[in-house]
Amino acid sequence: MSDTVKIYIDDKAYDVPAGMNLVDAAKMAGNDIPVFCYHPKMEPVGMCRMCLVEMGSIQKDRASGEVLLDDKGNPQIRWFPKLQTACTTNVSDGLVIRTNTPQVDQARENVVEFLLTSHPLDCPICDKGGECPLQNLTMEHGPGSSRMVYSDKLKLDKHVPLGDLIFLDEERCIQCARCIRFQDEIAGDDVLAFHERGRSLQIITNSDPGFDSYFSGNTADICPVGALTTADFRFGARPWELTEVPSICPHDAAGSNISLSMRLDRDHGGRAIIKRVMPRQNENVNEIWISDKTRFGHHFTRDEHSRLLCPLVRRGGNFNETEWKTALEYAANELQLAGGSVAAIAGSGMSNEDLWELRQLVTGLGGERLGAWPPTHAGADLVAQVGVGQGTNLGDLGKGDAVLIVASDLEEEVPIWRLRIKQAHDRGALVVVMNGRPTRMDDFASTVIHYDYSKAAGAFDLLQKEHGDTARQLTGAKNLVVIAGAEGVDLAGSRALMQAAANFLIESGHVGKPNNGLMATFPGANGMGQYYLGFTPEATQDIIANPPKVLFIAQADLLFDDPAAVSWLKQVETIIQLTLFAEEPVPGVTAALPIQSFAERDGSFVNGERRVQRFYTAQGPIGQALPAWQVLNRLGVQLGLGRSKLSASILMNEIAQSIPAFAGITYKALAHVEPQFPLVGGDDVYYGGTAYRNKGGLGVQIPAAADNGGAVTKGKVEKPAAIKASGGQLLVVPATRLYNRERVFRSSELVHPRVPDAYVAMNAADARKLGIENGDMVSISAGGSTLKVRAHVNGAAPQGAVILPRHLSDTPAPLAITAGEVSKA
Amino acid sequence: MNVLRGFATTFKHILEEPVTIQYPEQSIEFQERYKGRHELHRYENGLEKCIGCALCAAACPADAIWVEAAENTDEVRFSPGERYAKTYEINMMRCIYCGYCEDACPTEAIVLGHEHRLSFTSRSEAIFTKDVLLVEAPEGTQATPQRVRPGTFDRSIPDMEDPL
Ligand code: SF4
Ligand code: SF4
Ligand code: SF4
Ligand code: FES
Repeated sequence: MSDTVKIYIDDKAYDVPAGMNLVDAAKMAGNDIPVFCYHPKMEPVGMCRMCLVEMGSIQKDRASGEVLLDDKGNPQIRWFPKLQTACTTNVSDGLVIRTNTPQVDQARENVVEFLLTSHPLDCPICDKGGECPLQNLTMEHGPGSSRMVYSDKLKLDKHVPLGDLIFLDEERCIQCARCIRFQDEIAGDDVLAFHERGRSLQIITNSDPGFDSYFSGNTADICPVGALTTADFRFGARPWELTEVPSICPHDAAGSNISLSMRLDRDHGGRAIIKRVMPRQNENVNEIWISDKTRFGHHFTRDEHSRLLCPLVRRGGNFNETEWKTALEYAANELQLAGGSVAAIAGSGMSNEDLWELRQLVTGLGGERLGAWPPTHAGADLVAQVGVGQGTNLGDLGKGDAVLIVASDLEEEVPIWRLRIKQAHDRGALVVVMNGRPTRMDDFASTVIHYDYSKAAGAFDLLQKEHGDTARQLTGAKNLVVIAGAEGVDLAGSRALMQAAANFLIESGHVGKPNNGLMATFPGANGMGQYYLGFTPEATQDIIANPPKVLFIAQADLLFDDPAAVSWLKQVETIIQLTLFAEEPVPGVTAALPIQSFAERDGSFVNGERRVQRFYTAQGPIGQALPAWQVLNRLGVQLGLGRSKLSASILMNEIAQSIPAFAGITYKALAHVEPQFPLVGGDDVYYGGTAYRNKGGLGVQIPAAADNGGAVTKGKVEKPAAIKASGGQLLVVPATRLYNRERVFRSSELVHPRVPDAYVAMNAADARKLGIENGDMVSISAGGSTLKVRAHVNGAAPQGAVILPRHLSDTPAPLAITAGEVSKA
Repeated sequence: MNVLRGFATTFKHILEEPVTIQYPEQSIEFQERYKGRHELHRYENGLEKCIGCALCAAACPADAIWVEAAENTDEVRFSPGERYAKTYEINMMRCIYCGYCEDACPTEAIVLGHEHRLSFTSRSEAIFTKDVLLVEAPEGTQATPQRVRPGTFDRSIPDMEDPL
């Protein structure tokens, strides 16, 4: 093969990919060259000198290209006079290195000794102790004893909060700049920097609030020492005491692969709790990164105070705690009386197995309507048609490729996608962002197009008519991915937008192949799973319009999401609620049944790239909570609708038999792992952290209809009437904030300082007209609710529209764009 | 003949000092190295030596020790430095009195003392918690947690002496 080259490591020949970094190449060949500053995901900087090796090259005759031989017939090697850093070298044909000579050993020993001159003897209390590259490399390559005078050791501040979430221990930092480079190169939030020089050099944050980034936790993972610790895990446990359980992030459509580090805890009655959440390598999904919401948003799994602990049923006017048996009998009785007028609304945190049992139950009782919650994003069927092809990896996008992001604030909706597309942009991909207002993604865009929110559903018309050059660049790209959100559109508008996006892709032939197609920022972890199992937002609309007698509300916070819910729920006779939380019960709820969170049971989600991924049981149940599928299955048995089922894996087998998209998928297939590059998270921990290793499975991507040559046709775009504001009204555009007050996030108290107070962003011109100044309290009446929030007059909203983030106050913001009154409160 | 030799042995020992004592009225001298019940020690200023590092738990071959750590502040300080043991328990039914925990401890906090009279009537009683294991604060010092002048105790592990 032409793209491999022959290199020699310690006199053995290896074929490695041409141009690969030497450290990585050696690692593939089984030779771990020690590193501190080098990280396979980042550009080498050659700062620490730990990777020194003897290096030379085989001499060839310039004219003939023949290898020159010495007197003994061995190839002539020209050695560099001094040791070279392996991390700044890319392999080329005939490269020769030696890693086991006395000079190399001496160099490694010297570097370690040098680093330790100002490192504290802190291992017993250090969070990294036990999985620390500096510890390991000192044991392996360091001098046995120190020649330094202890009293000369630096004494620095050991508790410097860089922000609310990350603490710096100044003594421990070895100044490798991995954290700074991560923030700059990978996250794109350039908020860390070196301050001063030499022995006074320190890491500082230059943002306000400190360390203002949604990816800050990753720096603690890649820090080769314990200099950076997270507020969540600080002193939580020693690494060797933790049990790693593979799981999937329950918060967004990326489906980040995570590892839950579990340990028993006295404060929680001796139960196992999540001590920390670490990324688990899946190069196609989240590589080795996770957002801070994924990392710090797990506390609801253990929060006995907010979780519903036992079933509740309403008898007369009272809501009573009861046993499962009574509760199920009671619910079954209600269902029997419904005479087939049964429907369900399921949230996007329900696993595929839960949704399957819910569907079996509702259809078994003669119901038909299966609603997906929240009913904001349409077009999951189109993602199933022309979604990104099997084998898509956003990490492959680069020069010649293009990404179009439309109607989404990607950083707030799916931060990991935003991180990966930022890097695609750095690699040369064309990134086009279309929205009604500026978003963070604009910083990483080649072209930004702002449209009038009233025309959001017609964004693609605008693109083609008024931005022909950009449209041509997109259609002419080698690969094209479109990521669509639903900001500024209602459900009908969302459908029109998605259909236009699908048509755009089909027309230009960017479907049915890897790295081409449609993705959508469905809220929650299982938006695509809802679609595949038959739950649609259109059915939800129908349920709202014609409420059934008995309604299941499963893991959906209707009242917090939708101001109109209170009124239409009144028309439902019986509500059976499956819920994690002991919140105020939905008015009229007949039975509230406690279900288990993702950490308490097995299950699977389908992410926005249609990858089915499974999560494993990590902790025991809270209270008497059961997996939702089990509750529903027991109800079904009670009603004589089926046999009792014992495990989630059996349900997956059933799903695979009945739903073609899941054909062939089993828990075993989902647990399959293959070696991934870069080789991180192995027994060596040079690359930081031990939890990266993926032992839980890479998941299986469901093929899109267009994959494997499937024919897809364009559909008709039914553009709804534009939503206009008239008579002094303004358009109220609900938007998503990553850190908010949703129930699943409310228990994560450490992030509270970062959750913004409820606000609305207004344009200066509109504010002036209404006599509102920055910081004033304003009252917004729209979509059946009235909110009092603070006005931010700061250029974040276009004229004629206000941006109202959802889930920041207890009063729900409207579900979709609508016209509303804004006035000074 | 053999019978006589046997009796001779018996009679020889009759005249020797007895090795048994009248316990509990009498007690023996313990060797310094005797390994009895554990104690968690304090510094002279009353702060706890234990920093919650759980190295004792890692060293314990019987998995008898359970440590949970938390963070000190200058207002609520248990031990020098940032970390202290919030929970410290030893299950005396599992312990084999090997003393590995004592060897592992970086601050000489856990020490096997001379107390050997251990009795319990239930399994949970056999789990000795931190308040049982921790020795009294020395005369004139305040028991933990203490409120201290900010910045006085920022080292978890006492500074090492130079080897020379
Ligand atoms: S804090 Fe950690 S990652 Fe950052 S420069 Fe220091 S040692 Fe490197
Ligand atoms: S004496 Fe040995 S068995 Fe007992 S707690 Fe210490 S290490 Fe464990
Ligand atoms: S007793 Fe010693 S080894 Fe055990 S946790 Fe405390 S300081 Fe660490
Ligand atoms: S200089 Fe090569 S790893 Fe730091």
